[in-house]
Amino acid sequence: MRDLFTIALIWSTVRLATPLILAALGGLFSERSGIINIALEGKMLAGAFTAAAVTYAADSKLHLGAASPWLGLLAGMSAGIFIAAIYAIVCIRYKADQVVSGTAINILMFGLPAFLSGAFFLSSGSTPQIPRDRLIPFTPLVIAILLLMLTGICWYVLYRTPFGLRLRSVGENPEAADAAGVSVSRIRYAGVLIAGALAGIGGAYLSIGQSSLFTRNMTSGRGFIALAALIFGKWRPVQTLLACLLFGFTEAVSIQMQGAIKLPAFFATLLRQTPGDDIPIQFIQMVPYLLTIIVLAGFIGSSRPPRALGIPYQKEK
Amino acid sequence: MKLALWFIVSIVLALALFGSACNRTSYSADDKSKIHVGIVFDIGGKDDRSFNAAAFAGVKCAETGNWPDGTPCGKPSLNIVLRDIEPGNPTSIEPAMRAFAERGYDLIIGVGFAQAPIMERVAKEYPNIHFAIVDGVSELPNVASLVFKEHEGSYLVGMLAAKKSKTGTIGFLGGMDIGLIHRFEGGYEEGARAVNPNIKVIQNYVGVTDSAWNNPGKGKELALAQIGKGADVIFTAAGNSGLGAFDAVEQAGTQNGAATHFVIGVDSNQNMVKPGFVLTSMVKHVENAVYSIVEDLVKGQFKASFHVYGLDKDGVGYAMDQNNQNLVTPEMIQQVEDAKKKIINGQIKVIDRMMQ
Repeated sequence: MRDLFTIALIWSTVRLATPLILAALGGLFSERSGIINIALEGKMLAGAFTAAAVTYAADSKLHLGAASPWLGLLAGMSAGIFIAAIYAIVCIRYKADQVVSGTAINILMFGLPAFLSGAFFLSSGSTPQIPRDRLIPFTPLVIAILLLMLTGICWYVLYRTPFGLRLRSVGENPEAADAAGVSVSRIRYAGVLIAGALAGIGGAYLSIGQSSLFTRNMTSGRGFIALAALIFGKWRPVQTLLACLLFGFTEAVSIQMQGAIKLPAFFATLLRQTPGDDIPIQFIQMVPYLLTIIVLAGFIGSSRPPRALGIPYQKEK
Repeated sequence: MKLALWFIVSIVLALALFGSACNRTSYSADDKSKIHVGIVFDIGGKDDRSFNAAAFAGVKCAETGNWPDGTPCGKPSLNIVLRDIEPGNPTSIEPAMRAFAERGYDLIIGVGFAQAPIMERVAKEYPNIHFAIVDGVSELPNVASLVFKEHEGSYLVGMLAAKKSKTGTIGFLGGMDIGLIHRFEGGYEEGARAVNPNIKVIQNYVGVTDSAWNNPGKGKELALAQIGKGADVIFTAAGNSGLGAFDAVEQAGTQNGAATHFVIGVDSNQNMVKPGFVLTSMVKHVENAVYSIVEDLVKGQFKASFHVYGLDKDGVGYAMDQNNQNLVTPEMIQQVEDAKKKIINGQIKVIDRMMQ
């Protein structure tokens, strides 16, 4: 047990939680303004693919050297914003159903990178690998500090600035906000675009920070886990950060546990395995979700969404 | 609302036009006199630099006489019409196979163990069409099963890993936790123990669903955890997720210009993915197996039976090239070649963990 809780576990937690934190904080802005953000997954995929593709092109075609990953990061962020802009227009201007259009964006982004990688790299769903010295060079410590700062900024913007007040009021009671002279749709556009930018960065971290290439569907559900963390964190920045860290931590534990912990005799007889065997991987993979259910049921209490979440705003004529 | 509709319609049209421009051949232009071969890939997709990539190389070689990158494959083109489908998710495998069968293709190749039950269903309904399944088995009279003795090849790379390891701990990173991958793991461990009976083997799997093949982020975390526990050689059998382990050993760094931690690639020769960090690759010559089944069909010698590729037929092996020749000493090769001979003539029997 002792070799489970090491300093490596902390860094592993940070690495695994980073994409979640970025996406969840992004989702926070969108959802607090009243727009459901089920498309986080799609925006992350867009960010991941664009970041990897641009970094690769900047390095091998334009020979930009050490500047390439930063260009890639910027491109990933822009891709997130671009996808978010489509989503925003559909949801805010044309008042389409947010869950349906969000799902459509997710499905589109499962396929589009595969298609584009065929056109650019003669591949079917992945980009070429990027050399290690052309990846984002941050250590987990730097990333942890940046994320703490980001969470602080989000908290400040949300609770201490006029924009934050308007954002929250638009998500709770758009009619009142409108009557007070706030442009509901403008605030909502801003919320969704911020979400796109952060989710795009989260995706970019996956492809050019943690890994060194984009592969098809590489987010594997992280956008949805971020969404769960957001709900879990009651749509508040600090709690959302903690929720993401918890998800990251449980996954890191499950990774360290694999092959490290032997089955205790009691459970071994229960599961009809030999004592001293490794714990079955199916069980270990359950751990993050099991822990989540326990925490959700035991400590969190009910979680109340912004009141106008998911409801398109129709200005009275 | 109308504007949005037009916007979406125009995007779809633009994509469709773009798509048709890329794909110059159309189905109606097919030459009926040629043999038609359809291949349905696994979820990893033909670009996984590994298992599916090898299958694609095989059919591409049969079609054009070249590897997918355009270099000659050393075998003649078989003058076939080739179409491939990459299913986005497991539910689109069956429609893909049926689409080929409906169009009257002569041979339909399914890649991956997961397609075997699906292929059985489809093959029963189209008894006049030939089928081949890679990594799966079927006893139907029109299905050829192309299977490999991965445990034999894994045994050899396990020996190399144990010889190379300075810490006495090596790692195994599997993709999805299934019998087929246990076969790699079992052979690897057995080979390592043959060299060093006290060696510690850490084994991890990325997951239990098919997204486990496409999660390099988690693959890297698992590899880093293994390195943290002392593993200095890691054998991956995890599709795209395995590429994360390549990043992990590179991140573990170098000493006096030489890598301290190594990874062993799988299925395709992955030595060139991170030269200097890849000890070797456990190659599974899916491309040869696929090529010869197409060749059999073209020559009218298609046999719907088990085609087993072991060390004896060069179906599996370890890859040596200019990227890893400085990492593997002649003495190591000598020992591995000895074991290879003994496996082929039956003196060493590697346990097949899939059958247990």
